[in-house]
Amino acid sequence: MARFEAQCGCRVVQDYYSDNEEMLAKLAAGATGYDLIVPTGNAMESLIRQRALRPLDKGMLPNLKNIDPVYLNTPFDPGNSYSVPYAYTLTLIGYNREKIRELDLPVDSWAVIFEPRYLEKIRGRVTVLDSQRELLAAALKYLGYSANDTDETHWKQARDLIIRAKPYWAAFNASSYIKELTVGNIWLVHGYSNDIFQADLDAQKAGRKFCITSSIPKEGAVLALDSMVLHKSGPRPDLAHHFINFMLEGSNSAELTNLIGSGNPNRDALQYIRPEVAQNPAVFPGHAQQAKLEMLRDLDRHQRRVLSRIWTEIKLR
Amino acid sequence: MHSAVMHSQVMRRGRWLWAAALAVYAFLYVPLAIVVAYSFNDSRLNAEWVGFTLHWYQVLLNDEDMLAAAGNSLLIALVSSLVATVLGTMAGIAMHRYKLKLLTFMVLTPVAMPEILLGVSLLLFFIQVLNLTLGMLSIVLAHITFSIGFVAIIVRARLAGMDESIFEAARDLGASQWETFRYVTFPLILPGVVAGGLMAFTLSIDDFVITFFTAGVGVSTLPLHIYSMIKIAVTPEVNAVSTLLMLLTLTMIVLASRFAPDVLKGKA
Amino acid sequence: MMKSVLPVSLTSILSRLRERKQSNRFANFKLTKWLVSGPPFVFLLLFFVMPSIIMVLASFRYPGEFGGLAPLTAADPATLQGVTLETYRFFFSDPIYSQVFIKSILMAFATTLICLTMAYPLALLIARSPKKSRDLMVLLVILPFASNFLIRVYAWMIVLGPQSVLSLMVNGFLQWLGMGPVHLLFSSFAVLVAMVYVHLPFMVLPLYTNLEKHDPSLLDAAQDLGANAWQRFWRVTFPLSLPGIFSGSALVFIPVLGMFAVPDILGGTGDMLIGNLIKEQFLGTRDWPFGSTLSIMLTIAVLLIAWLAAKLAGSRGSYV
Repeated sequence: MARFEAQCGCRVVQDYYSDNEEMLAKLAAGATGYDLIVPTGNAMESLIRQRALRPLDKGMLPNLKNIDPVYLNTPFDPGNSYSVPYAYTLTLIGYNREKIRELDLPVDSWAVIFEPRYLEKIRGRVTVLDSQRELLAAALKYLGYSANDTDETHWKQARDLIIRAKPYWAAFNASSYIKELTVGNIWLVHGYSNDIFQADLDAQKAGRKFCITSSIPKEGAVLALDSMVLHKSGPRPDLAHHFINFMLEGSNSAELTNLIGSGNPNRDALQYIRPEVAQNPAVFPGHAQQAKLEMLRDLDRHQRRVLSRIWTEIKLR
Repeated sequence: MHSAVMHSQVMRRGRWLWAAALAVYAFLYVPLAIVVAYSFNDSRLNAEWVGFTLHWYQVLLNDEDMLAAAGNSLLIALVSSLVATVLGTMAGIAMHRYKLKLLTFMVLTPVAMPEILLGVSLLLFFIQVLNLTLGMLSIVLAHITFSIGFVAIIVRARLAGMDESIFEAARDLGASQWETFRYVTFPLILPGVVAGGLMAFTLSIDDFVITFFTAGVGVSTLPLHIYSMIKIAVTPEVNAVSTLLMLLTLTMIVLASRFAPDVLKGKA
Repeated sequence: MMKSVLPVSLTSILSRLRERKQSNRFANFKLTKWLVSGPPFVFLLLFFVMPSIIMVLASFRYPGEFGGLAPLTAADPATLQGVTLETYRFFFSDPIYSQVFIKSILMAFATTLICLTMAYPLALLIARSPKKSRDLMVLLVILPFASNFLIRVYAWMIVLGPQSVLSLMVNGFLQWLGMGPVHLLFSSFAVLVAMVYVHLPFMVLPLYTNLEKHDPSLLDAAQDLGANAWQRFWRVTFPLSLPGIFSGSALVFIPVLGMFAVPDILGGTGDMLIGNLIKEQFLGTRDWPFGSTLSIMLTIAVLLIAWLAAKLAGSRGSYV
């Protein structure tokens, strides 16, 4: 950020949000004046359909060629008229390697989060994400359905699966579970790949005797592609374009990956990424696993309402 | 007779009553004492006592986001308490003097109802009707709305406790409405007005629920910031800011009680 | 004598002047009334009454495609528009929502009961203390209330945390009994404790206000008639304090009903109260019509409780 500010002679003001829902709610509540937003796939879909975004001027983005075509041309934004991929994360299983090895649990499947016979061994030591879409997606994947399945019967099956497993879980936690993993209170989480990467770094720094690692379940997982988009109401699209181009440079893009372990769609960045990070399959999944990854699509209002009800049932029962 | 009554009263504050009451006092104060104590703890976790340090206060003072939030809170509290005091005083006088049922209802209901209802309805109103971007203005308006009631209650209680004949005497002596107000009424209710203002200030600084819904993006207040810290990453910095905040509101309340000691009881 | 000498015209002028002064005073009175009550009235009309009306109206709308409300009229007939009873149907279609309400009511009830049990001894003590110490004691009750609400909740995160003294003691005791460890934090227990903690002053103050007004000679008389301490309390003090109990209970019950922050911070997975549900609709699912419907339901519940408390408190006479 500092380097960009020095380069362009401008100031960047940042605002954070904890999940896409919060960002969308805030934008719906009329927040304006943002030049650049970094939403995840399905949130971006929503923004595009609302016609809230400014189309990109590809002429100002020569570094766009650095992006791996696998991540371009997504169903939300064919031709990338509005968005430029920036980073991606996976939602997968993170765990305390030593403890789990001790207990001999299969971390290559979502079963370890949903099946009581495994959960018994880690009762009270597991957390799942406090996110309606993510948790439902994991359950749907485990049941063999697509994460974007909108069939209500399938949702009800997923709901029952979750309710059955709930008593063994310590908490629904989307933010502070990293700390718990690092400290050793929690042994297994349903979490984001960059968070788990961070937890391991923290654990090593604190001198813990275990390390945190992650695994992509064989049934598949959710891929969240973060992209940079321009909001229609932003006052400085020129600077925003500069910023995007700046971030598309391999060296700049790699910094993020090296720092937080998020996946990187930028081919030019690969040379700058630290080897141990580049080898990490959770950060850079191989082709076989890529096939099983899905991006979440947006839901319509009726589905959102039904999902909200199912989530209430999950929380309450 | 007098001493007999005193004696029996004293007798009735039995040992068990004292014990129960003290237990409740302890219940009220021990958790807060722990918060303050751990703000000086040389450890990231609020677990065992490691050592004394002012480190967390240093972190607090260098925390730009926190300072910005504190600045916002102060500004919002100043503006909203000023406006609320003026409007609330007027409302209190009107309620006492003219016994307006409708106004009384409108003034007192925001105080009595759950804050979430006020927060949510304001959110709806700001977005749907006013098309207002949520930010400082929306927060200030929201804070004024719920503060008016508190000020009005205090001012009204103060008026109710006063002897009506003073006003009549002033009028008989030929004072106009305005003169009566300026030289008689206002000085007499001034302590109540000040107490109400302090109350409004404190409420604004402390408010969480209503601000949560009407804040929008980009503007954070101290309670909102503390909330996100609690949810995401708890460090003793939260203890430090809590301690400082407690000191501030403690001063306010003590000041307010000096100005209008009977007022706090009349709140109900 | 003088009057009959003055010309009639002068007398009539004088009397008309006097009349005008009276009517001016009357007119002034009316003007001041509007001047004084006007501004707060207008402000509250705009920022309290109108938003409430909007909320009622919003509950009859469809949810917007991307959140918020769907338009009332739209050019394209294919888009969802207009008014509907859909949200109310949705609310009643699944018992889960009524369950959330019941849970909230139970939590409010439990909180009120515990607050009452804890506040009564304290209020009694203060009421019976010499006047000088009373103000100080009341101040001591209010002071914790002066601290930020979040701080008071956060304090319990520390006290009930897994590594706190309390937790270790409780779990050590349970272990000695042969039972497994319990998590004090992130549970309904934690939510209840914090709710009581936050609302205790609201129960103490009305109770104290009431108890202070009791005539001590009544208790003296009861004692003279042979009543022991318990009987004196149960048959004299307690009934007289009922209005205070009812107002205090209302002051606790109603806010607890609408709480969301406490379960949000300290609650476990099952601790979803009405407030949490409403917050989720507005800031999560973006289903504003349904959020409004839930709010209306909450408002109705609150009004019922308030009405009930007023009736119970008022019917007992003058000790409020």
